[in-house]
Amino acid sequence: MGKKKTVEKEALLLKVDSVHKEFIDTTAVEDVSFKVEAGRVFGLLGPNGAGKTTIMRMIMDIVRPDSGDILINGSPRPGLPRNRFGYLPEERGLYAHARVLELLVYFGTLNHMPRRKAEVEAIRFLDRLGLIDYSDYPVHYLSKGMQQKVQFIAAFLHKPDILILDEPFSGLDPINQIALREILNDFKKEGKLIILSTHQMEMAEKMCEHVCMIHQGRLIVDASLNEIKKRFRDNTYLLEADHALETLQMMDKVDVLEAGSNGIKFRLSSGLDSGDLLRIVSSKHLVRHFQMFEPSLHDIFIRLIQQEMEEHHA
Amino acid sequence: MRNMLRIARWEFRNRVRTRSYLFNTFISPLIFTMLFLLPLYFTTHQPDTSVKLIGVIDLSPEKNIANKLSNALNRSYKLENTLSQYGIYTISIKNAPAYRELSSELKDIEAQYDSLNRLHNRIKQERTAYFTQKATPNRQFSLNRSYERLRKVREEKELVSIELQRYRTAMDSLYAREARVVADSMIINNVLSAYLLFPSDFIKSGRIEYHSRSTADLLDSERLEKTLQNLIIRSRLQELNLGTRKVRELMRPVHLDKYKIRGNNEESWNIYAQFYGPLIGVFLLFIAIFTSGGYLFSGMMMEKANRILEVLLSYAAPGEIMGGKILGLGTVGLTQVLIWLFITFLLNSGGIISGGSLSYLTFENALYFLLYFSLGYLFFGAIFIMFSSIFSNEYDAQQVNQLLRIVAIFPVLLSLLVVINPNSFWIRLLSYVPFLTPSFMILRIPLSGQPLTTDIIITTGIMLFSIAVIIWISGRLFRVTTLMMGKKPSWSEIIYWIRHSK
Ligand SMILES: Nc1ncnc2c1ncn2[C@@H]1O[C@H](COP(=O)(O)OP(=O)(O)O)[C@@H](O)[C@H]1O
Ligand SMILES: [Mg+2]
Repeated sequence: MGKKKTVEKEALLLKVDSVHKEFIDTTAVEDVSFKVEAGRVFGLLGPNGAGKTTIMRMIMDIVRPDSGDILINGSPRPGLPRNRFGYLPEERGLYAHARVLELLVYFGTLNHMPRRKAEVEAIRFLDRLGLIDYSDYPVHYLSKGMQQKVQFIAAFLHKPDILILDEPFSGLDPINQIALREILNDFKKEGKLIILSTHQMEMAEKMCEHVCMIHQGRLIVDASLNEIKKRFRDNTYLLEADHALETLQMMDKVDVLEAGSNGIKFRLSSGLDSGDLLRIVSSKHLVRHFQMFEPSLHDIFIRLIQQEMEEHHA
Repeated sequence: MRNMLRIARWEFRNRVRTRSYLFNTFISPLIFTMLFLLPLYFTTHQPDTSVKLIGVIDLSPEKNIANKLSNALNRSYKLENTLSQYGIYTISIKNAPAYRELSSELKDIEAQYDSLNRLHNRIKQERTAYFTQKATPNRQFSLNRSYERLRKVREEKELVSIELQRYRTAMDSLYAREARVVADSMIINNVLSAYLLFPSDFIKSGRIEYHSRSTADLLDSERLEKTLQNLIIRSRLQELNLGTRKVRELMRPVHLDKYKIRGNNEESWNIYAQFYGPLIGVFLLFIAIFTSGGYLFSGMMMEKANRILEVLLSYAAPGEIMGGKILGLGTVGLTQVLIWLFITFLLNSGGIISGGSLSYLTFENALYFLLYFSLGYLFFGAIFIMFSSIFSNEYDAQQVNQLLRIVAIFPVLLSLLVVINPNSFWIRLLSYVPFLTPSFMILRIPLSGQPLTTDIIITTGIMLFSIAVIIWISGRLFRVTTLMMGKKPSWSEIIYWIRHSK
């Protein structure tokens, strides 16, 4: 117990170091390295099949890497006690016939909580998530959303330092998404280390401070959200003006990316200033809106993948 | 380690409460026991359901054997409703014409013999009078004359007596002949199930004829033989004038207490209980193994399907999960076995099953039962776990489960061979095959009639070794395969996992 407290005091650092994992017909994770610091939400992003779940399972020591190490404050993962980790698997599972509270207490004791404490904590969380009336119901009586919340409680009932949440938002309605974000914010303030994975980039944009993007088992970017946005803010603008498309297409230094009903997206090559462009366009057309375009994570991701593929083929 | 116990406890509590467990614990054994005992019940009890009529033809002068036999049978053999199991019917032919004619002639001769007899007695009285009254006139003459008459009457009487004897023999043989005709027809018409013919000197010669439709009804003929033996010896003894008390003492019945030699100590036994008891035991063993093994399998399949295993894997090491499940569900089966043993000992001490004859109901054998249950459960349980690691979709699992059930029936079927000769070379060899060990050893220990210490040690060793091997293999498969998503692996993949999993 005393030892655990000292661990909590020094900031947690999780290091994934050149981790490699192959399955029989696929390479799920290919030489991936990254670091995660406590106190901010770390997002593992990537499309389905990218290798996110495999990485998280390796962090949870459910799957062991073929090579490479996973270190927490320098100590290798396999030797660490499991109850320092809280895990929400991508595919949820609960005993359908067990009663909600009983089940949570069982899971709590598996994490070495005393029965009483597990019971008290479970009731607290059930109350917070509006499930207190169902604590004596069998799990299969509950709706999918409610079961999902029970699953969350199972992941952090024992107050782990490290939370690994695989696709936590899938299947949650907006109200419960907000409830979950609140809980995660609390954990963040408590200095816990939080990793979540998602294939929904909008979710990541709202939740994460730091992201790793993974594609086909390879890490393609590892940076804070701000940094990424800044890096990809590459002279792209959005213009809303009547019949301006032709004018823009005629210009050498303008590369039209997308033309839709709500405007034209284009990139400027060096040598042409955004002010100059606006002057030229506004002299010919009525400009309703002109802004520097902040690419979404989604766009960034698509672009990165394209780059990556080109490099890979070259 | 603590988590293993927690998982075991959870599994135990959740299984023991289910309806299927209660059914397998209390109803299935009842059904199996009934299935065993019903044929047995019918073969031993069917003939007893109606009264059997036994005919008697008595050619002896006393003509009282029918009564005695009837009383004796009445005392010994009763039906459930306390009615006598055997009825005695004396065959009569008094109304047959040939017999009637002969008997009227016999009566004439008997009358003639009687009158001669009376005459003979009167003459003897006269002569006594002549002797005693010395003053009688012509005494010598009268004596001589009466002597002459007496001699004549005696001669005549002897002749008539021979005639009488002839008639009697003729009548006896006529009776014997006619009575047999009547009795035969009564057997053919199913009135009698058999008849006994007592010759006139049967007490001395001890020979009695038994006639029945078939000679195969051993039970009846043996019972009659035994009863008659007693009756006849009793009458022979009574002829010696020993007094009823002495006769009763000499006739005290003999009862065989049946013992079986086993090393130095002997045990009494009862053939049915001796064979059927262990067979029922084997069935129960397999119910227990397959109840808990089945739970293990279906539980694993379910938890793989609904992904609980991944949650558990985040809380506990794979070894703890596997160990916990094996332990928890093993305790479930053990509880079942203990409940059965408890009930058996309860019935035994309550005298509901004939305890004395069930020699194998000992504490030692109960321990062996528990030992082979545990080994069998661990063996089949490990196989179940191995299969559940490999297969994950519902359909494959069903098929595997069915296959395992069929394979599991074999040891039970083969166990009939053990009953026939528990010590033969082949049975001994087969009991070293882990698959068959539990059922074979459970049968061999009570039936073999000799201590099996070496075999017990060897089979336990073999079982433990194979359990370890299977658990090792399934442990290697477990971690990789539990996270498979409904995909059926190929053999090369399975071998790859066993080789490479960490
Ligand atoms: N247990 C497994 N056996 C074989 N292949 C697997 C296994 N788990 C994952 N994979 C494969 O590894 C790749 C990465 O999967 P995963 O980590 O689940 O991706 P994500 O979570 O990003 O969707 C996929 O191609 C998947 O098919
Ligand atoms: Mg995934």
